[in-house]
Amino acid sequence: MIQVKNLVKWYGPNRAVDDISFEVPQGQIVGFLGPNGAGKSTTLRILTGYLPPTGGSASIAGCDVLTQSIEARRQIGYLPESTPLYPEMRVEEFLHFRGKLMNMTRADRNKAIDYVADRCGLVQIRRRIIGQLSKGNRQRVGIAQALLHDPKVLILDEPTAGLDPVQIGAVRNLITELKGKHTILLSSHILPEIEKTADRVLIIAGGKIKADGSPAELRTQVAQGARILIELKAEPAAVRKAFTGLDHVVSVEVQAREGGCRAIVSPQDDCDLRETLGQTALTNGWLIREMRNETASLEQFFIQITADQEHATPSEASLAS
Amino acid sequence: MNQTLTIARRELTSLFFSPIAYVVLGIFSAGTAMLFFLQFGPNNPASLKTTMEGVIWLMIFLVPAISMRLLSEEFRNGTIEMLMTSPLTDTQIVCGKWLGAMGFFVTLLLPLLVLTVVLECFSDPDYGPIVTGLLGLILVGGFYLAIGTFASALSENQIITFLLTVFIICLFTLVLFFLPAASFITPGIRKTLFYLHVNSQFADFSKGLLDLTKFIYFISGTALFLFMAVKLLESKRWR
Repeated sequence: MIQVKNLVKWYGPNRAVDDISFEVPQGQIVGFLGPNGAGKSTTLRILTGYLPPTGGSASIAGCDVLTQSIEARRQIGYLPESTPLYPEMRVEEFLHFRGKLMNMTRADRNKAIDYVADRCGLVQIRRRIIGQLSKGNRQRVGIAQALLHDPKVLILDEPTAGLDPVQIGAVRNLITELKGKHTILLSSHILPEIEKTADRVLIIAGGKIKADGSPAELRTQVAQGARILIELKAEPAAVRKAFTGLDHVVSVEVQAREGGCRAIVSPQDDCDLRETLGQTALTNGWLIREMRNETASLEQFFIQITADQEHATPSEASLAS
Repeated sequence: MNQTLTIARRELTSLFFSPIAYVVLGIFSAGTAMLFFLQFGPNNPASLKTTMEGVIWLMIFLVPAISMRLLSEEFRNGTIEMLMTSPLTDTQIVCGKWLGAMGFFVTLLLPLLVLTVVLECFSDPDYGPIVTGLLGLILVGGFYLAIGTFASALSENQIITFLLTVFIICLFTLVLFFLPAASFITPGIRKTLFYLHVNSQFADFSKGLLDLTKFIYFISGTALFLFMAVKLLESKRWR
C-alpha cells in the first residue's frame, strides 16, 4: 500500500531524511517512532505530497507522490502535526468544506459526516465553533476530517500530542478500531503509545531507520541486555568475590549501600541466575533485601538510539558544512 | 472548478467573520459618500465620474486590507498544509482565494449603487458611464487583489503583506503619476509609462468608453500576478 524507496530529503545543508526504504502492506498499523527532529514529520510530509523528496521515490496505492501527486493525495487522509483548522468555522461546516475539496457529493458528505461524528465522538459538538474547542476536541475534528472520504491510507502525525491521558486512551482506542479498514501510519515520540496500537514499529533517528519490527520482536532484541539486581546485607568485597566465581556470570558490579551492598549481575546469554544467586547468598548467610530481574525495556532501547543520534549530529553537521 | 469555488466560498464567509471586513466596508462607504457629496449640487454633472476616479485612490489602501490575509493567514495557521495535501492544484488554491476576495470587493461597490439612486432622485443621470465605470472598478479591484494575493504568498506576516501590496499598487498609480514629469524621461518611455498607469487606463471606463486594450491591460495584469502567486506557492514546497 505504501512504498518508500531510498528516500532522501535535504534542507539546505542538513539531511533530514537519509536514504529510507520501507513498505507497508494493506491493513497494517505502522508506528513511526523517533525523537524530535529525527525526520518523522518530513517523511510523512513527503508521503502526503506536501514536500517533494530530494532523491528516491515514494508511492501510495501505486501512485507516485511526485508524478501522480493528485491521485496519490486522493488516497490519503492526513492529520498534520499541529492539527491546523479554521478557527472561525463550525465543526460541521468545516467537515463539509473538507468533503467538498475531496469532490464528495452532498449525500455522500452527509452520510460520511454522520459516520465520522459518531466514530470520533463529535456528535455533541457538531454545531460548535472550532476556535472555542478544547485541544482534545480539536484533535478529534482533525482525525474526523482525515477519515471523512474513507481513505485507503491514514497518515496521522503525532495524533496524541498535547492530550491528557484519558484523551490519549480515547484516540488510541479509535485507532485500534480502525484497524483492518485502513492502512495506518502514525508517528510519535512517545513509545508506550505506539507499542499498544501498532502492528509494527519503525524507529527512526538522524534520518535513518534504526529498527523495524513488531513491538514483541523489538523487545526480544532488547531482552538480551537483561540483568539481575540483588541487594544484600553483606560486605561488598565478599559479594563480588562469591558472585564472580559463579558459572554463566559475565560481569558483576557492586555498590556499597547502607549496611550492605547492591550487586548488578550480567548473565551469559539468557540464563536465569536468580536461583543460583539466592543459593549463594543463603550458603554465605547473607540476608536478601531485594532481588529483581531488570529487563531492559523498549524505552531504554529507544533512549540508547536517541543518544546515538545526539552523538552523530555534530559530526554530520561538520561534514555537511 | 468546483473545488476552486469551494475555496472561494469559504474565503468569502471567513472575510465576513473578520472585523477587518467591516472596517474596510465602513471606511469605503464613508469615503465614497464624501467624494460624492463634494461635487453634489446644482450646475454639476449628474454622474459618478469624479467619485469613481477618487475611489481608485481610496482603493490603494482598502484593497490591500482585504487581501492581506488571503494566503498569509493560511501560512500562519498551518492550514496551508491541509490545502496543499488535498487533491487540489496550487492554481486552484490561488484562484479560489482571489475569487473569494473578489466576491467581497463586489459587495464593497454597493454604496455606489445607493449614490446612483440619489442621483436619480435629484436629476436624470446617464446610466451608460455608471455601468462602464462600475465594470472598470471591478477590473481595477481584480488587478489590485491579484497583487495582494501575490504579496500574501510571500509572507505569513499580514502587516508585511499589507505594506508590500500598498507599495506595488503605488508603483502603478502614484509613481506613474509623477514619474512622466521627470526631466530624464524621453517621450517614448513616457508613452509606455502612461500605458501602465492604472488611473489613465481607468479614465475611459468612467467616461463610458469600452476599449479592448484597457480590458487586455487589466486582465493580463491580474493574470500575471496570479501566475506569480502560484509560482511562489509552488516554490514553498521546495524550500
